[in-house]
Amino acid sequence: MSEQIREQISAFLDGELPSSETELLLKRLTRDAELRESFGRYALVGECVRGGGHARLTQGFAARVNRAIDGDSVADDPQPQPRRATGWWRPLAGAAVAASVAAVAVVALQQRAVSPPGVPAVQIMASGGLPAIQSGAGPSPTPTIQFAAAGRQVSPGQVTEPGSYVVPPSSSEGPTPLPAARLTNYVFAHSKYSSVMGQNDVLNDLLSEADADAAGDASQDRRAAP
Amino acid sequence: MIVADCCRANWLAPCAVVGVLLTTAAPVARAGDAAREWLQRMNQALATRNYDGTFFHLSDGRVETMRIVHRVLGGRVTERLMSLDGSGREFVRNGDALTCYLPDLHTVLVEPRQEHAPFLGSLPQFADDVSGFYRIESQGEAHVLGHAAQKIVVTPKDQYRFGYRLWLDENTAMPLKTQLCDSRGQVIEQILFARLDMPDSIPDSDLAPGVHTQGMRWVRQGPARDSASPALSAYRASELPPGFHLTISGAQTLGGANVPAAHLVYSDGLATVSVFVEAQAPPRQEGGADGKPSPPAEPPMEGLARVGSGFAFSTVIQGHQVTAVGEVPAQTVETIAHSVRSFSSGDLPPH
Repeated sequence: MSEQIREQISAFLDGELPSSETELLLKRLTRDAELRESFGRYALVGECVRGGGHARLTQGFAARVNRAIDGDSVADDPQPQPRRATGWWRPLAGAAVAASVAAVAVVALQQRAVSPPGVPAVQIMASGGLPAIQSGAGPSPTPTIQFAAAGRQVSPGQVTEPGSYVVPPSSSEGPTPLPAARLTNYVFAHSKYSSVMGQNDVLNDLLSEADADAAGDASQDRRAAP
Repeated sequence: MIVADCCRANWLAPCAVVGVLLTTAAPVARAGDAAREWLQRMNQALATRNYDGTFFHLSDGRVETMRIVHRVLGGRVTERLMSLDGSGREFVRNGDALTCYLPDLHTVLVEPRQEHAPFLGSLPQFADDVSGFYRIESQGEAHVLGHAAQKIVVTPKDQYRFGYRLWLDENTAMPLKTQLCDSRGQVIEQILFARLDMPDSIPDSDLAPGVHTQGMRWVRQGPARDSASPALSAYRASELPPGFHLTISGAQTLGGANVPAAHLVYSDGLATVSVFVEAQAPPRQEGGADGKPSPPAEPPMEGLARVGSGFAFSTVIQGHQVTAVGEVPAQTVETIAHSVRSFSSGDLPPH
């Protein structure tokens, strides 16, 4: 990322970028996936630096921030990384309308993944009920959806100190990956009653290519690539 | 069929303000009252104004660019939400139906729902009981994305729920920037508008889907009508995080299931958690009475998973699969799921 772009993004996030330049930045961002990733890292790191994330700035923090912004791996960082919950169904977080769409979308992908040739990808129950996700219906086991985080570039949350990570603490020893096909149904049903704030997540994720990730197809590899 | 034990929280209700005034010291009440007024203005703007904007959704260092078009014409709301850098998917909400164009799946989904919240109307609702568990305050003026804005902060008072930060345009009350935060203030996800216009009129062409649907498969869904067995209906959470109470008890036939699961909804007035209780499937058999293979039994699940900004936790209790899902921290879904048990009909907990 060039210094000019970095300054543009910084000015944008500070609300100081003129609207004409904002339009140009927007166009660049919509065209350039790599730039969007940089933008995302920069924005979240910016939150930490501004105090929004309550990050504790310690020795080496700035260097790690810069590496994160530039997309460099910090895997060699000696700091222990906070435990990360598995996010295999990110695109499905409970939103009213959108989660239902997500569920069906994933049904299609799931069925495509497990059904023999000639079997319709999407099955809608005759009663008009929820779409059926038959996790064991196909000849091969249902793929357990693994979040791509393990192979992804470090996120700004990971470059802050342990204890300042965005995922809240849990009393569990660690999350067990649960089959997406089954849990999608719960999200679908929950979506009608979920807090309205959650809709944003789902809508945004739905409109992205994240569903393809959930199906474990090639796009997961793309996003997991460093 | 889901039976509502009480209405969903509606922070627009006058009792919300009254509740704050009654339960909070005067200066704080004024600050909270101002914040609520700003949130009310925001929700009104989101629901009643025309707007056309482009925004970023940032999460986990990932950014997606979206465009939202919202038109209110003669009391009729039409919305279009589209991805600008992803799959090419679009959502169009018109009247009582939502149509989802999924070109990457060669599918169009049509879902009739009587009640649709605005796509961007996904912001906190505050009932009068919320103030016991969240601190709502206005933090004054701020400068965000080139506009003068009011910063409103909703802070959870314990670790069982998430909080929000909102930057509302001084003139329009539209949310220029929103953040979802955990109890320590860590930003989980945020939305930033890069451009937001509020035109007097929006042409039909701006609300028409840009997806070519020729050759695509159309899928239509209808409403579900279910009821749970008496045995499943006897299950309740016996221990709830402070402020959470039962708001809905009913049943849902989950996809792939033959019988409905009990569906309980617990809420603190802002966050919601769904609990599903299902009888575990019998062990897998090689052949049924008719000689045909039985469907494979679903194995029991045990564990925690991230669900967007929230979590899901599933476990087995008294031979039943119990799963809690919600936009809350992990320990909230775990606490609730672990406490689920069967009650006799006369012994059901009041909450």
